[in-house]
Amino acid sequence: MGDITRLILKRLGLGLVTILVVSVLIFFAVELLPGDIAQAVLGQGATEETVAAMREQLGLDRPAFVRYFDWLGGAATGDFGVSLVSGERVSEAISGRFAHTLFLASYAAVIAVPISILLGVFTALYRNTIFDRVANVLTLSTISSPEFFLGYILILFLAVRVTMFPAIASLSSDMTFLELLHRTFLPMLTLVLVVTAHMMRMTRAAIINLLASPYIEMARLKGTPPWKVIVKHALPNAWAPIINVVALNLAYLITGVVLVEVVFVYPGIGQLLVDAVAKRDFPIVQACCLIFAATFILLNLAADVGSILTNPRLRHPK
Amino acid sequence: MSIFVIVYYAALIGASCLAAFYKQRGVFMLIFSLTLVSFVLGIIGGAGALRLVATAAGVLALAAGTSYAFREFLIQISRPNLAKELRTAPLTAAFGMFVIFTYAIAGIFAPWIAPYGEAEVIGQAFAPPDQNMLLGGDQLGRDMFSRIIFGARNSVGLALMATLLAFVMGAIAGLLAAVKGGWFDQLMGRIADVIMSIPSLIFALLMLSIFGTGLQVIVIVVAVIYSPRVFRLTRAVAGNIVVMDYVEASKLRGEGDWYLVRKEILPNATAPLIAEFGLEFCFVFLLIAGLSFLGLGIQPPTADWGSMVRENATLISFGDITPLIPAGAIALLTVAINFVVDWMLFRTSGLKEQ
Repeated sequence: MGDITRLILKRLGLGLVTILVVSVLIFFAVELLPGDIAQAVLGQGATEETVAAMREQLGLDRPAFVRYFDWLGGAATGDFGVSLVSGERVSEAISGRFAHTLFLASYAAVIAVPISILLGVFTALYRNTIFDRVANVLTLSTISSPEFFLGYILILFLAVRVTMFPAIASLSSDMTFLELLHRTFLPMLTLVLVVTAHMMRMTRAAIINLLASPYIEMARLKGTPPWKVIVKHALPNAWAPIINVVALNLAYLITGVVLVEVVFVYPGIGQLLVDAVAKRDFPIVQACCLIFAATFILLNLAADVGSILTNPRLRHPK
Repeated sequence: MSIFVIVYYAALIGASCLAAFYKQRGVFMLIFSLTLVSFVLGIIGGAGALRLVATAAGVLALAAGTSYAFREFLIQISRPNLAKELRTAPLTAAFGMFVIFTYAIAGIFAPWIAPYGEAEVIGQAFAPPDQNMLLGGDQLGRDMFSRIIFGARNSVGLALMATLLAFVMGAIAGLLAAVKGGWFDQLMGRIADVIMSIPSLIFALLMLSIFGTGLQVIVIVVAVIYSPRVFRLTRAVAGNIVVMDYVEASKLRGEGDWYLVRKEILPNATAPLIAEFGLEFCFVFLLIAGLSFLGLGIQPPTADWGSMVRENATLISFGDITPLIPAGAIALLTVAINFVVDWMLFRTSGLKEQ
């Protein structure tokens, strides 16, 4: 097992380095502003004194790399500084909303993952039939549509024409879990549609790839029953690509969630980010970007580690 | 039981009998399963649901007919070599080409096609469609139809520019990395890794919050975000070509890097690069549409599909489909390009032998 532990540790280290590099990028991108943050936020009309006061307050007189380590240290302990617009602590603005976003993403994931893997396996097994072709055209269309298109179609048909679900996914603290599920059903469905299409196509490709390999043909030729070919021969090797597909698409959820939150006015971190970008509230933008990027990198890392762990060739070294 | 329902079932059953008689198994299965589904739908949704199915089938048939005719048209006007290739195109690909063609016409001749200017206020806000304004008015009373036409020029044009820039940057970096190798290759590879490790929309939002939302900024930011994809593909494709003997020979002849890239590698790498261009354009287009939808893309009063969806979004809660039209225009173009790219990839990958 020595080899495999070392391999995983190496990947984890690489992931950590990537997060660090990305944090450098996110922090120093703001330094590229013409002038500095204080000038950019206060605008042309600001007097010298107010700009100087803001510089003082933000500690802009210190060199950039000192402030970077301050920021990074704060970020590691969950403290992202103070919002420029509202003066609220960024961590307080984010924490509740982050939980909402996580809830929405996991709600979508729990439903999308089993469906898409099942559909992917079926389309791979029955490829080039009418069922496969129709699935191909449908998934291609879903992938190609912007998230807001799907979202508004769902609102039109399921919230306005037939009032089954609420069009606006606002939350309140006294809702029961079932109410919560009902309230967030449409945003969840939008995400599920997009992610399922991606995941299903990738699963299909992975399985077809696998079924074309010589040992599967060998198993068929020696007369193994079809279900046994799938369960005993194909599945152990299919886990690695499937885990990869799932993790990659969960990472895809992250981008999708921003647009979906805006469509459904869902109080999540994506909407916070979009508002902050419009108001040029840099501490919040930086914090949200770091959180999104770190989640994205971690999920990609999980995909890597997962496929190492489930690879039978690496699990049993010669 | 209205006449429509009777005609509907009679047509379906007649068509499935015909299909069975002429031994068209796939067609028969499709039509007959549609008949069975219609029974259930008819019981639940009544004649309205059946009407919807009939309309959808009609639209599909119309699209199929148009694509068939358009493919024939293309075959007629193109040279023999190209015509032979086009004959293998599935209807979906022909449909894609037709849609792209239409969008190109709309975009290029926008000022002549559109009845009004893109920023011209014609009627009342959210005016219903009449013979003057085909699709009604938007939130300021501008003609929706004209704005859609102008949107074809603005939105697609912007995405095309960003894609071209991304392509030039990514392809040049990839080709040079493959030819030079060594530290340059390593450096470019690591930069691409870092850019790709941030989700594209998030990266774009970060950059736009810093540099503001000018057109140049959007083009450059989006191009930087998507160039690593092109870089990786070019690097991989060119990497396989660089090791060929004829490249080695021209290296020994003393040719420079630029000559190698231009004369030896690029001509052999065009096929996958063209398919990638289509895919890349879809990604860029969707990203820019998303940014516009968030209010961070092309700024008003310029007509742009993404921001038109956002501006008219309130109409959706009254059951009006106006905001869906620009969104649908975006979706239709990306679907069309994907259809064409699918066919091109299928053609170049040699999958057709299976």
